[in-house]
Amino acid sequence: MPVSKKTIVGLGSAVLMTSLTYGIGAAQAQEGQLRGNVRVVIGSTSTGGDTYQNSSIVVDQLSEKLDINMKVDAVGASSAFRTLDRDARGNTLMIFHDQAYLGHLYGVEGYADIFEKYTIGPTVAINPGNAYLVPMDSPYETLDDIIAAVGEGETVRVAIQPGGVSEIGFSALKNAIAIEHPGQEDNLVAVNTGSQSDKNQLLFDDQVDLINGSVQANEQYTRLPEEDQKAMRFVWLTARQETIQQAPEEGLGQTTREQLLQHVEPNVHVTMGDDETFTFDKEFFFLYNKDMDPGIVEQIDEALAEIFEEGEIQEAQKSAFFIPNFRPSGEASEYLEEKRSRYAEIIENIQ
Amino acid sequence: MESGLSDLLSVSIDFGTSHLFFPTLITWIMAVLFVLVVATQVVPFLAAVKRGERTLPIVGESMDGLRFFGTLALIATYFYLMTVVGDMFPYTGYGFLFVSIPFVFLMSLLYLHEWTSKALVIVTLNAFVAPSLAWLILAKLFQITLP
Amino acid sequence: MEILSLLDVTFFLLTALGALVGIVFGAIPGMTATMAVAVCLPLTYALGLNHGLALLLGLYVGGISGGMVPAVLLNIPGTPSSITTTFDGYPMARRGEGERALKISVVASLVGGLISAAVLFLFAPLLADFSIKFSYIEKFLIILLALTVIASLSNNMLVGIFSGVIGIWLSLIGDYSISDGGNGKTRLMFDFMEPYLFEGFSLLPVLIGIFGISTILLEAEKGVKSDLTDERVKIGKGAGATFSLALFKGRLTNLVRSSFIGTFVGMLPGVGGSAASVLAYTQEKNLARDSSQMGKGAPQGLIASESANNALTGGALIPLLSLGIPGDSTTAVLIGAFTLQGIQVGPLFIPENAETWYVMMAALIFANFVMFFLMFYAIKYIAKVVMVPKHILFPIIVMMCVVGAYAINYGIMFDVWTLLIFGVLGYLIQKVGLEVAPLIIGFILGSQAEVYFVKSLESAGTLTIFFTKSPIAVVLWLLILASVVFSITMSLKNRAKHRQELLG
Repeated sequence: MPVSKKTIVGLGSAVLMTSLTYGIGAAQAQEGQLRGNVRVVIGSTSTGGDTYQNSSIVVDQLSEKLDINMKVDAVGASSAFRTLDRDARGNTLMIFHDQAYLGHLYGVEGYADIFEKYTIGPTVAINPGNAYLVPMDSPYETLDDIIAAVGEGETVRVAIQPGGVSEIGFSALKNAIAIEHPGQEDNLVAVNTGSQSDKNQLLFDDQVDLINGSVQANEQYTRLPEEDQKAMRFVWLTARQETIQQAPEEGLGQTTREQLLQHVEPNVHVTMGDDETFTFDKEFFFLYNKDMDPGIVEQIDEALAEIFEEGEIQEAQKSAFFIPNFRPSGEASEYLEEKRSRYAEIIENIQ
Repeated sequence: MESGLSDLLSVSIDFGTSHLFFPTLITWIMAVLFVLVVATQVVPFLAAVKRGERTLPIVGESMDGLRFFGTLALIATYFYLMTVVGDMFPYTGYGFLFVSIPFVFLMSLLYLHEWTSKALVIVTLNAFVAPSLAWLILAKLFQITLP
Repeated sequence: MEILSLLDVTFFLLTALGALVGIVFGAIPGMTATMAVAVCLPLTYALGLNHGLALLLGLYVGGISGGMVPAVLLNIPGTPSSITTTFDGYPMARRGEGERALKISVVASLVGGLISAAVLFLFAPLLADFSIKFSYIEKFLIILLALTVIASLSNNMLVGIFSGVIGIWLSLIGDYSISDGGNGKTRLMFDFMEPYLFEGFSLLPVLIGIFGISTILLEAEKGVKSDLTDERVKIGKGAGATFSLALFKGRLTNLVRSSFIGTFVGMLPGVGGSAASVLAYTQEKNLARDSSQMGKGAPQGLIASESANNALTGGALIPLLSLGIPGDSTTAVLIGAFTLQGIQVGPLFIPENAETWYVMMAALIFANFVMFFLMFYAIKYIAKVVMVPKHILFPIIVMMCVVGAYAINYGIMFDVWTLLIFGVLGYLIQKVGLEVAPLIIGFILGSQAEVYFVKSLESAGTLTIFFTKSPIAVVLWLLILASVVFSITMSLKNRAKHRQELLG
């Protein structure tokens, strides 16, 4: 096949162009790339909790892919934000979940508007486990019973940890009651407490009627015999139905996905008005210093995209009862901001 | 009468200001105790000082000023420089390593009474070996984050 | 049996290695058992659940025990739970009885560890059900009971209580933490401090600052004389410093009581580790026939403190394995080993994971024995630490305190500055005649006292709840009352004795 001059020129210039772009690309990448040791601070102080577990899965993969030293440090929210504030070089990254903006919505000290103050990085996973439970022998069979009871003037006490993820379901419930039974919402009372053990304890003591908990922490309690003082029942999982549908079929412990699905929408309906149902997925995402090189943002996005393409990470996440949920930085930022505005409305409504 | 008592014992705490409840209580207890301590201990003590029977703490005592203030200055500089140097090599622990070596060396010299050549060799060796060992084992082997 | 096949050579080696590394971590001032477990946690992923747990439980037992070494020899508690060990251990070391003090502590640790392991094995689910009878109110009363030690511990009761209250006050600085159910607002500080002090002062840096750095400052003030070293050389070969099991004669009640107290406190989630040894120490002080020497170098104080803090290990595992709730800070890290492997801990853990349960028990008991043999025979050499000249020892202590303080919250520089702040504060406190031990106990227990007190009132709305809540509350009140009455009579007796001496 004869090769025309034109083709050669065309090809040549194409090669030249490509190499040029690559060259520039490489130069830019050199500029805007992670280097040295990277520390990933998380918004939780617990190394036994979901934030640490999820972060270490992601960071392990990322550090292997990028071939740099990365380490997860459980410094807690306020320290994590402060450490991130001080480092624009990209040696400090942060992973946290919806608490990052919910804390600000609830006006908790130490929480700023993350969309203004930081660059939002990619989302990586969902913990679908946020749940509400009643004692096994509770008169309330479903969440609808509770909404109806409160609507009729009964007081229902709910144990939550104030100012964030644990409170958002409570706020939504209160909002739903305000919509369906206007004026009765104050019969739903928050009992502010701390750790999961404190919440459980209040339930054992009959100090509350409903607690916030999680599938992971409370599943075994739901399988205790009814006469056990500690026995509980799920009445509500706040996750979206499609989130739970992605969970492994065997579910968690001995509670199958099928059983879990009974406690999510549309079986459980917490209205937000206008036929909309409230759902809440606890999502984990990266946060970056605002002045960090955009090249690094891109680099991490690309690396994570490749990791999720390979598919190994999904296995690790699912076996730890996380739902894989990768969105690159820009998309994640838009999505989370939209998510925040929905919850902001709820919180405003009930104030 | 009974209701009076239960009124007295009833406390209502507003969640929004609950962070001040206990600290206020403790501050008051502390203040009352402070007055008691001043009245029963400090006043008699000061009287004794005036009579010349006792001396004031710190100001009235002999002190190795060089070693005391030297220690304070060294520790403060040590902590400060650790951050500065550590910031140049993020999360490598070099800040700790590079600043600990001179710190250990200088503090040893400060406390060393007789500067014999043998003692100086040991001090120098120790200043290099101890921080390096700590850094190797903790930062490298156990991957503990160091400044 | 299948379980036996799980107990392979690797299992025992890992447990022993864990105990050894744990002891080293515990023995370095500033490094703690919690840190040892946290640092090795990622390793367990590769090791698998059973082998991972073997390593971590070894670290846990070793770390808690290792804390006695600097407590006795250097007057710096190696872990927060060995604070009461310093009260009697250091005076003994000063008398040249360091080796003896350490051996007593090691034996007490072993007994405490084994008793608590037995309790864990036999009664875990039963005790878990009992522990949930303790609500905020009962937990507050337990803290209050532990706080009463301040009264009996101090030389001058008024000054001691004042110091204790200062300690409580200092512990309240920072936010009323949301994770404890507070409202997350800060108090007792100015706005400019907020970036540093939002979460308040951390316990460990405060502890090693007030014990370690202030000790160095006090020595520096005196010119770091080397002659003191000669005095300490006695430790290696001091006369009358021999150890024999006869020392435990008549101390059996103390040993067993303290072990049970340790197990019990460990089992109450949230009350925490340091309270265990403090409470055991209080009870020994109150109940012993002669406790006048406690705080001046009495073996019974060491026995109470060390058996209680090792008994904590088994105790803290009770709520972890039968409720899914960690009993102290180390088990809170340990829970990560289970979640990393996808194992749930909760009320059904033991019945559903019988194998893992037996493996854990085996590791716990084996770790206690390894700890005992390692420590008991190494003490002779460990005790020589005090013979290292101070100009070498002190800089290394400062350096290691820095590592410990920086690492405790996974890398916070302010924790390092806390060392200096409390080093200077500790120096001043001792200079003006305030008492360190009550202050630090107030600091350790203060923030828990707040949460339990405020939360109890928040839900009940009346102070009467503390008296009427439950029979347990009544019993606790009786104990508190007994403790207070006891310390008052003690102090009156001492005063009378003092007066007599002056007259006679």
